[in-house]
Amino acid sequence: MKVSCLQENLNKGLGIIGRAVASRTTLPITQNVLITTDQSQLKLAATNLEIAISCWIGAKIENEGSITIPARVLTEFVGSLPSDIISLNLKHHTLELKCGRYEARINGLDAADFPPIPQVGDDFSTKVKAEDLKLAISQVAFAAATEESRPVLTGVQTEFEGSKLTMAAADGFRLAVHRANLIEPVKEKVAMIIPAKAYHELNRLMGNEDQEIEITLNSQKSQVLFKLKGIEMVSQLIQGNFPNYSQLIPQTYGTKARIDVAEFLRAIKMAAIFARDGSGIARVIVTPGATVEAGKITISARADEIGDNIGEIDALVDGEAAKIAFNARYLADVLSVVKQAQVSLEVSTPSNPGVIRPVGTDNYDHVVMPMFVQW
Amino acid sequence: MPIKILPPEVTSKIAAGEVIERPSSVVKELIENSLDAGANEISVEAHNGGISYLRVTDNGCGLSAAEVEIAIRRHATSKITGLEDLEHIRTLGFRGEALPSIASVSEVEILSRDSGSSAASYLHLEGGKVSAREKKSRPQGTTITVRRLFQNFPARLKFLKSASTESGHIATLVGQFALAFPEVKFELVIDGKNSLRTTGDAELRSSVAVVYGLETAKKMLEVEGTDGMLYIQGLASPPSVERSTRSYMSFFVNRRYVRNALLARAVETAYEGLLMTGRHPVAVINIAIPPEETDVNVHPTKLEVKFRNNNTVFTALVRTLRDTLAKSPLPAIRSGVEDASAQTLWGQFPHNAVLPPLRAVGQLSSSYILAEGEDGLYLVDQHAAHERVLFDKILLQRAQKKPEVQGMLEPLAIELSTQQEQAITACGGLLSELGFTLEPFGERTCLVRAVPALLNGNNLNEAIRELLDEIGGEQDTQKRDIKAAQSLACHGAIRAGQTLDSGEMASLVKQLERTSQPRTCPHGRPTMIHLSPQQLKKEFGRTG
Repeated sequence: MKVSCLQENLNKGLGIIGRAVASRTTLPITQNVLITTDQSQLKLAATNLEIAISCWIGAKIENEGSITIPARVLTEFVGSLPSDIISLNLKHHTLELKCGRYEARINGLDAADFPPIPQVGDDFSTKVKAEDLKLAISQVAFAAATEESRPVLTGVQTEFEGSKLTMAAADGFRLAVHRANLIEPVKEKVAMIIPAKAYHELNRLMGNEDQEIEITLNSQKSQVLFKLKGIEMVSQLIQGNFPNYSQLIPQTYGTKARIDVAEFLRAIKMAAIFARDGSGIARVIVTPGATVEAGKITISARADEIGDNIGEIDALVDGEAAKIAFNARYLADVLSVVKQAQVSLEVSTPSNPGVIRPVGTDNYDHVVMPMFVQW
Repeated sequence: MPIKILPPEVTSKIAAGEVIERPSSVVKELIENSLDAGANEISVEAHNGGISYLRVTDNGCGLSAAEVEIAIRRHATSKITGLEDLEHIRTLGFRGEALPSIASVSEVEILSRDSGSSAASYLHLEGGKVSAREKKSRPQGTTITVRRLFQNFPARLKFLKSASTESGHIATLVGQFALAFPEVKFELVIDGKNSLRTTGDAELRSSVAVVYGLETAKKMLEVEGTDGMLYIQGLASPPSVERSTRSYMSFFVNRRYVRNALLARAVETAYEGLLMTGRHPVAVINIAIPPEETDVNVHPTKLEVKFRNNNTVFTALVRTLRDTLAKSPLPAIRSGVEDASAQTLWGQFPHNAVLPPLRAVGQLSSSYILAEGEDGLYLVDQHAAHERVLFDKILLQRAQKKPEVQGMLEPLAIELSTQQEQAITACGGLLSELGFTLEPFGERTCLVRAVPALLNGNNLNEAIRELLDEIGGEQDTQKRDIKAAQSLACHGAIRAGQTLDSGEMASLVKQLERTSQPRTCPHGRPTMIHLSPQQLKKEFGRTG
């Protein structure tokens, strides 16, 4: 293999695939990056066996070939080089890098020993706008469980039907459901569970660029491929059945309050200061407006040794007075990802789940189970 | 006082006292009789912990009218004929004491029919004397009903525990029989509720599934080995399945359930280095050995067994288990080596001493918080420290009857063993005071609807099962409450290996300062060690 490319391109490419390099592993070669010539481009790839990321950078190919090189050494060396043309020359299993007056030789391992990057066919394929996918991931993936006793809950249920994409995640205490539009409708209904971790990576890879993301599922329904501009990410799917989440979304409410998101979030964060040493309990009291007074919500927290706080915000209340306690972190999590200026909070009893929805759109439901406290 | 021979009603009660200790002993004796009679379906029914009502029904060979009359006399048995038979006992019973002993401390009804009789004989005994005699109809087999146990024996009655505890003992016992005799269909009904039902398909794994749950049964490894006259067979857990008590190890010698320290030690030895200290495997071990190599006549209950050659049995069991475990994928072996020099350098505190104000400066190995106090450096074990904080909080919340509870959006179904199921019944009040809402959901499954808020984000399945194990075996309510709080605190606490930010560290240290005994964790281990400026100076050679 003999190729040359720009230092900034190679550096950027290594940064993109870097997150898929295995950190702790029993298979040492997964700590390497795979470098292959691919027609007139240079393909870089890494995998930790859960996800695999490949990216293509422009290069001048003189001789074809491939090799795997320890990711850390290569990334750190390339990152320190000046912005110039780098030539890569493979001699046996040693990659020789030259850039201006700097050069290095790094020992690699045979590319044939690198775990094959899964090939995903086109049995099922659709497209979605990056912007829509990013919003869906940011509003759903955080609600997935981090604790692994129920593996399906560490993933995000992802359903394609007609021209709709529905994503849902739950950890036993809360549930987030987001609905987005596909660019091309799908012929058949398909559902899969994608690890929340993989979605977090995908979110990072999409950046802020305006692009279309192609989503492809392999025929065994075990892997999913996301095709971005110049980048591909493959993720293993979580096998199993996701709980039927639609029945967990309450259909009725006794009290509905419309609240300003920024105000609500501020009050929750203040309550969290006092609730921190406890179990994070924020008590929410909803009071409907009277003839002269506006409706309001008070949010309070207390810790025996520290003290207590109380915050009051205006709200447009429909229904009766209500009180309910939530884990402050759960409320802060959902309020931080809502893009709209206002949310509605729907509650019925202190022991039934509350629902938070952005006002002005119907694409997001967030259900939170309350905490049971003595009032 | 002159010496005299005791009247028979006194001697019979003394003898009964050795065999019949509690309702479960009655069940044990009766099931053994049923098994010796060749039954392959045995059903046990108990009310009020077996104290007011107990019934064991089997489809064994049954007794003829004449045999029934003899059976109720002391030392009447069909199982041995002379002293030489004691050398090679192959039946479970042989002393001929069970039935008369039971009869002397309760009301007994015997209904039995053998293959040769046209009708079943029925006997009703009160205080060991026959009070009614009839012919009744029933298929071949025996039903023995025991009522009002120990009514005429107040000394024993006084020492019985609550009905739910006694039911627990019966459930454990029937579970052990189910494990020993997978080919027999066992059924246990406690207070009208079906508590256990095995298939009798002769597969040990299906019995384990019934007694310890399907998940555990699926993971168990087959154990098989032989050493001369010994044959060992059974199921043992891979290192990934572990329990916090030894009560998940069952041993059967020639199919008789035994408690034997030697066998337990052999199993623990085989798992050495594979499990953390204080963790124990799940194992069901059958040992077949020529009867003359053992002595089961150590105690009337026959729960103990002696081996003629302890060493052979021990090494054979260890080797067989090691062979099995070697075939299972091994997790990383944890080393228990301690750094001896640490002891000399780092001082430990007297307990209960008040903590000086500490400032967290950093984290070591994601496990220890380095904190600075006015008198030097403190190393705080983050898990132990958090455990102490939570332990105090749990006790406080319980005392104030204000548990912090997090509801579950969707109830979580958890599979339980029979003992765990009994623990829920026996300790229902304690569990709800701690903040749990657990609902029975069919056989050996419960639905978790709410959990103490401090468990949020942890493995609930594991936390709840271990909590039930901890409290299930404890009789003393005060100790049980402490154990429950320890178990919850341990599961809710942050783990070693968890990276903390400076805010979290500061908050933890501050919370620790406010606890009742900041220097030790609820289990008594130190939460911190201390290095004084003098020690530092000395180590760096700054003092002349």
